[in-house]
Parts: sequence; C-alpha cells; structure tokens
Amino acid sequence: MTKQLVIDYEKCTGCRLCEMVCSVKHEGVVNPARSRINIAKWETKGLTVPVVCRQCEDAPCVSACPTNARMRDEELGRVIVNYDRCIGCKTCVVACPFGAINWDPLARKVISCDLCDGEPQCARFCETGAIRFIEVSTANKDRQREAAGQLLESMQKPVQPAAR
Amino acid sequence: MTNERRAETTAEATARGRTYGAFRCLNCFERNTAPSGAKSFKCPKCGFEWRLSWPMPTQPRIRGPVWETNRRLAEEATAKQTKGEK
Amino acid sequence: MALNRKIAYIDLTTGTVEAKPIPVKMRKQFLGGRGLDAYLLYNHIKPGVDALGPDNVLLVSAGVLVGTLASASSRTHVAAKSPLTGYFGSCNMGGFFSPELRFAGFDHLVIKGKAAKPVYLWIHNGEIEIRDASKVWGKGVRDTQEAIREELGDHEIKAMTIGIAGENKVRYANVMTEIKNSGGRTGMGAVMGSKNLKAIAVRGTMDIKIAHPAEALEYDKKVISQVTAAKVSQEMGKLGTLFIWGATNSQGLVRTRNFQLNQLDESDAIEPEEFEEHTFGMAACYGCQVHCRARYVIPDGEYKGVYDEGPEYTSIGAFAGEPGCRDLTTVLAANHLVNDYGMDTLEVGGMIAWAMELYEKGILTDKDTGGLDLSFGNEAAVIEMIHRIAKREGLGDILAEGPLRAAEKIGKDSIKYQIHVKGMSALHSDDRPAPALALGIATASRGADHLRSRPAIDLYHLPEPVLRQIYGQPVPYEGPLTSDYTDYEGKSWQVFWQEQCYMAVDSLGICKYHTIFLGPNFPNFEEWSKLLYYNTGLEMTPLDIWNVARRANMLERMFNLREGLTKQEDWLVDRYFDEPTKLGIPKIRGRVIDRDKLHKLIDEFYGFQGWDTKGVPKPETLKALGLEKEPSHQL
Repeated sequence: MTKQLVIDYEKCTGCRLCEMVCSVKHEGVVNPARSRINIAKWETKGLTVPVVCRQCEDAPCVSACPTNARMRDEELGRVIVNYDRCIGCKTCVVACPFGAINWDPLARKVISCDLCDGEPQCARFCETGAIRFIEVSTANKDRQREAAGQLLESMQKPVQPAAR
Repeated sequence: MTNERRAETTAEATARGRTYGAFRCLNCFERNTAPSGAKSFKCPKCGFEWRLSWPMPTQPRIRGPVWETNRRLAEEATAKQTKGEK
Repeated sequence: MALNRKIAYIDLTTGTVEAKPIPVKMRKQFLGGRGLDAYLLYNHIKPGVDALGPDNVLLVSAGVLVGTLASASSRTHVAAKSPLTGYFGSCNMGGFFSPELRFAGFDHLVIKGKAAKPVYLWIHNGEIEIRDASKVWGKGVRDTQEAIREELGDHEIKAMTIGIAGENKVRYANVMTEIKNSGGRTGMGAVMGSKNLKAIAVRGTMDIKIAHPAEALEYDKKVISQVTAAKVSQEMGKLGTLFIWGATNSQGLVRTRNFQLNQLDESDAIEPEEFEEHTFGMAACYGCQVHCRARYVIPDGEYKGVYDEGPEYTSIGAFAGEPGCRDLTTVLAANHLVNDYGMDTLEVGGMIAWAMELYEKGILTDKDTGGLDLSFGNEAAVIEMIHRIAKREGLGDILAEGPLRAAEKIGKDSIKYQIHVKGMSALHSDDRPAPALALGIATASRGADHLRSRPAIDLYHLPEPVLRQIYGQPVPYEGPLTSDYTDYEGKSWQVFWQEQCYMAVDSLGICKYHTIFLGPNFPNFEEWSKLLYYNTGLEMTPLDIWNVARRANMLERMFNLREGLTKQEDWLVDRYFDEPTKLGIPKIRGRVIDRDKLHKLIDEFYGFQGWDTKGVPKPETLKALGLEKEPSHQL
C-alpha cells in the first residue's frame, strides 16, 4: 500500500498554490524557487503542468548519487536525502529525467518532494484535483472506468446502417 | 463594540442561510428547485419561464429567458399598469 | 518582522535608481497597493501636470498581502494621473506579475521622467536595470513578453507591458501581463507609452517571509473553503465572469445599442454556455482556487486557431451588447485583439457603440467613417474599428481620444449620446433600475466605474437582516436598508461601505471576487485582519483596516479636487434621467433615475464621507484620519 502524488495536468489551472504551500510548509516563506513542486507553463498555449518527484522505484538520482546520500524510504514509498552525507554536488539535479529536483539558491542545498512526511500540502490545497495523494494501485481506476463507460456507450448504440 | 474579534464572522454567519440546489426566479425572486437536468422551468409563482443550464450536477442556473413567454408576460403587465394609470 | 520590504524610485530621464525600505508606520496608515499608491500619487505629482508628459509619475505596486497565503493575493496596482479623465488614474489586475515583483525584492515602483528612446525595466533579485527596448517596440502584448524572455534567457520572467495602443498613446490603453491580465481603465498604458517605457520585466528568487507559517497555512485553507463553497464561485469557476450575463440580460439590466435598449433579445448564441463549447478548462491567477479565466481557441473566421483567455463579462457587453452584435466569434476575436493591442475592452466597446449611434443619427457619415458601414449589428465593423483605434487610423484616431475629446472633435450634439462619467465610459450594465449602482458610477474616483463602490449584491434581493449583518461591520450602521434594488433607501450607505471594502482589498492585493462583490458570504474585514496578522505580523483590527481605506479614498478625492474636480462631475448623463428603459421584466421596464432622489443620495454619501455639501473633505475629517498635513512627503 503506497500513496503517491498523482498529477492530472488537464485539471491544473496554473494557480501555483501548490508551490506556495510547499515552500511555506518547508521553509516558512513563500518562494517558488524553494518549492519542491513547480508549475511548468506555456503561456501562449494556455498549458500548465505540475512537476514533482515521482518517487521512482529505481531512481536515477539514487543511482547517480556519489555519496549514497539519496536513498529510498520504503515505509513512505519515497526518495529522501541524508543531508549529513550530501555534498551538494547537484548530480541528482541533472540526473532526474523530470527535472523534479531543485537547487535551493538560498539554503544552498538540493530539495525534492518528501511527501510532507505523509501529508502533502500541495494535494491538500489543490481543489481542482490536479494533484491528488492516492493509492498508486488505484491511480488509474477513474480513467479506466471512464474509458470503459465510453466503450459501453458505443456498444449500446443502435447499429449504424452500412455506408452506401 | 464592533471591533472585537467575534466567534463567528459576518461571512460565516450569512453562509448558514445558503440553499444549495435552489435558484431564484429572476422576475419575482421566488426560491425554486428543478428536477435534475431540466432544460427549462416555469416559475409557479409568477409564470415566467426560464431556460436552465447545469454548471454543477446539483446546481442549476438560469441561462436565459424563454423569450416569447417572458416578453408576452412583461408586455401584458406593462399594458395593465398603463391602463390602471389612465 | 516579516514586513521588511522596499520601494524603488526610478528616473527614466536621468537613468537613476534609488531603493528605500517602506516604514511599518506607513503600512499601518496605507497598507500597500492602491492605498499606498494614493499617498504616493498625492505626494509625487504636482497639480496640473500633463498626463502624457514627463512630469506625470507612474506607480506600480503589489498589495501588502500579494504572494502570501492569503487566497487570491495576486493583484497588481498601477496608478498615475489619467490621460483619459485628467483625474486619478488607477488600474488593478490579476495574474502573476506582482508576486514575481515581490520575489524580485520590491513592493512599490515610482517611475518618473521620460526615456530618450524606448526602454524596458529589468528587475531581478534586488537589482533594477534600464534596458534598450528597440527590438520589442512595435510588438503586440504577447510577442513582447516572449521576446523579452528570449533576450534575457529565462522562461519564468513575468512582464507587464504595453501593446501597440499604449505606444500610440490611445487614451485608454492598458498595461497588460501574460495573455489577458489587463490593467484597464484610465489609460495607464498611454502613460507608459508617453514615457517610452515598453515593459517592466521581473524575476526573483527572494523570500516572502510569512510571519506565522503554520497558522497562515491553516487559516488560508479555511478562507479558501469559505470562498469556493459559494455558489457564485462555483459558477464562475466553470463559466468565468460571463456567468453574470445570464442574470443581467435575462432581466434587462444591460445597455444595448449604445444606450437605446436594455436587453439583447434572442441572443442565445452568445450565452456563456455557448462559449463553454469552445473553452478547454479554466485558468487561475496566482494562488486562486476559483479559477475564473476561460482558455479558448477561436473556432473560425480570420483568427481561427488563435489561443486567448476570457472573454469576460465586460467583453460580451462591449462587443455584443452595446454594438448590438450576436456572433460569438466577434466577441472571441475582439477580445483577442484588444488583449494583444493592449486596450480597455470596455472603453473600446463603448466608443464603437457610440460611433454607431452617431452613424445611425446621421452625425457621422460614410465620409467620416472612410466608407465603413457603422450600422448596429455589423460584426465586421466592430473588428475593423478595433484595429483603427489601436493604430489611430481615420475615425479610430478620434475615438482613441476617449469620450470627451472625441465628442469635442466630432461636435454637433454627439456628446448627448456619450455614456460616461468624468470622461470615462460606463460598463454595459443598465443602472437606471438600480439607484445604488447609479450612485456608485456617479461618484467613483476614477470615473464611471463598477469596481470602486458597486454594491452588486444589491441585485440579489437579500433579506434585510443579512444586509444588516454585512453593512453594519466594522462600523455600526442603523439607518435604512432595503432588499429592493429599485429603491433609494439606504443605498448611499451601501455604496459608501463598498467603497471602503474595495479600497481595503486593493490595498491588500486580494481579488474582488473574494469579497462581498459577487456574494454575501465572502471574506470580509474580519478575515482580512487575521490574514494580515498571520502572513505579515501586522496587527490591525477590522476597524483599523476600514480606516486605511477611508484614508486612501480620501486622498484619491483630494487628488481629484486638486486637479479641478467639482461636485457637478459626480453626476450622470441625461439619458439616465430622461429615457425610460423599454425591455426586460416588468419590474425593470419604464425605469429612470430620479434627479432629486439621486441628489439626496449624493448628499447622504458626502455626509458619510465627512465631506461638505460641495464634496470637499471637512477639516475635521482630515484631522480624524491624520491627513491634515498632506502632502507630507514621508515616502
């Protein structure tokens, strides 16, 4: 049973409240540069996508870390940093295929999502449902039902006469 | 004193009177409900007719008038009023 | 203290920049945003300066709560002497600009002088640079922002810019940020253009410190729930501000064909639900869970495939209602054009509808219009006139001058058909059946305006006890209040109260849709007091915030009086009194505003303000608010 942040970018309105609550929770300040979640935005196309650590099972950042500071925490199903070992080499920042590891320019340390130790504030504040903290094994169920529903509907339609 | 911190703010107090699902007739302001998904609605109090839409599954809103009905009712009312004045 | 923030003075003539901290004492007097701007404007602008000359001062500011955990604290305020009205110029917009300005280290900018050639400001982590803008001069709003991001190599840059209209000093040109966030009304874009200032680009990674982070988080959550639980928020989160059209047009509360009719009948094709077909989800401003901005792609016509945001309630009135058009594409395309040219949608629509009535009456002829058929309902003419106004071509050059100057140029009795107050066009709402709304536009500090003091909830038929709860805080009020919007009783107090309410949120930097604008159950002075404390550490009671609003509104009035405003200008054009409404529900038909009753409302309103019968603040009023020594030049 592992809960994870599940992102549905189509529901994201780009308000960046997730960034705010993240940096306030962790640093006591509002500063998107020190948030563990960020919104990537294509302004002229109206697209916004929340980017956050996927808590990979076989994480590139863990493999890349030269001091074994990054590691899996199986209890909460997340990747964490042992700052006693971290030397701030930023290899993980580059290694992450999602760009989800940030460099905090003020604290001068790498930061990434720690799931707020089990109560992620971003998901709590996101009323649109773009960010949800849910059981990974059920993450696809809504969409599955929706797709199945559509299939059902199409099957119940009267048979169209063949085109002449 | 109006400036003290109160247990309940004005906004919290007025919110208690909220009626989800209900909507007001735009002519007589009577509070009404409609069967879910209904496309139009005739106010039982004043007879004005409105086209509805459902922005949320349980909350209708008045999309616009049923032009013909409401125009006729308004013209009748105005005519009656003018006649009364004479 | 969390509130250690800066103001920067930038002189474009000399190229000098100076930054200073904003004393907490000033915060307690004026908070920030529009409140502190009122102070700065009164102190930095000499009476009688040319609004389009180098002596005008442009103020750009963030509200004191901007970027904090106060829901919808995204608002940017821009002020200067208005080139449209000659009085207090002010605009307020959402988006992401002012939070970024605060991340870059500044709360307020005071921009003076005029650059010798086009420039833009680059503000980055406490540093301000004046840069050459020759590469972006001549570009539209969105291209300018993209080009600046390209030049400086950072996608995250937020820029506030003017479009072609601002460069051409159209007197109602906007300042814009992102696709559609518009600092409209009173022509702040023309002031920027007159200073050769194309844009202000900001980017920062500095902290906005939160005074009590844990409490701020919990309280913000509570306030958000309070806002999103409101039925109007939910409707608006689905349809945007267009949702208002259903109620107002259904009743007959909109001006159409300039001001000849009060309903656009058989206009099903432009109902919000039709627009929804062409939108793909809603977008939000910084930190807002209401998300009232629709994202759309124009479905057909000349601009097919173009992405834009909105349109707002104002645009449907400006491009459908007033000119009598019924095509959805016209509204979508027109909305796109004014956004990219950077013009006030309301003023543009108002000016075009006015020209159409002049054309109908024969005051403007084909010779004046360059052969363009300006008949009501001519959709193509609306689009064409937008281009001509922005580029100042032909008749567009005259209309670009705004209501009073254009009427003077056209002459005859064209002024008779102009729907304005203090030289600024009114919203497309028909306020003849609603005296409270009429009083609001007649007395608003920046001219005919619905966002300064409008008690919009007056149209909701709220029970009197609810009205008492709302309008009896934070100062007691025991006078009359009535549920009937056609009544005159107590409306002066409602307008007075709303004026303080809107000034308070404009100073805090919170969106008006999170206040008692759209509904009765929204956060209020009590909530703002707590938000201020948790986020900034400022301890201010609801009454203290009320007094900030009183102080700032008073300074706006004093600014206007200093520029020559008289009581006669707190008034409406004759049509409000002389031509009864013709359409809509029975309650609304045959309505005019009664001159004597409006006079009485204005007298009451002046009384609540602490003004004399001529509308001038009494010495004891100024003393009570600590304004007797203004201008005091403390900042």
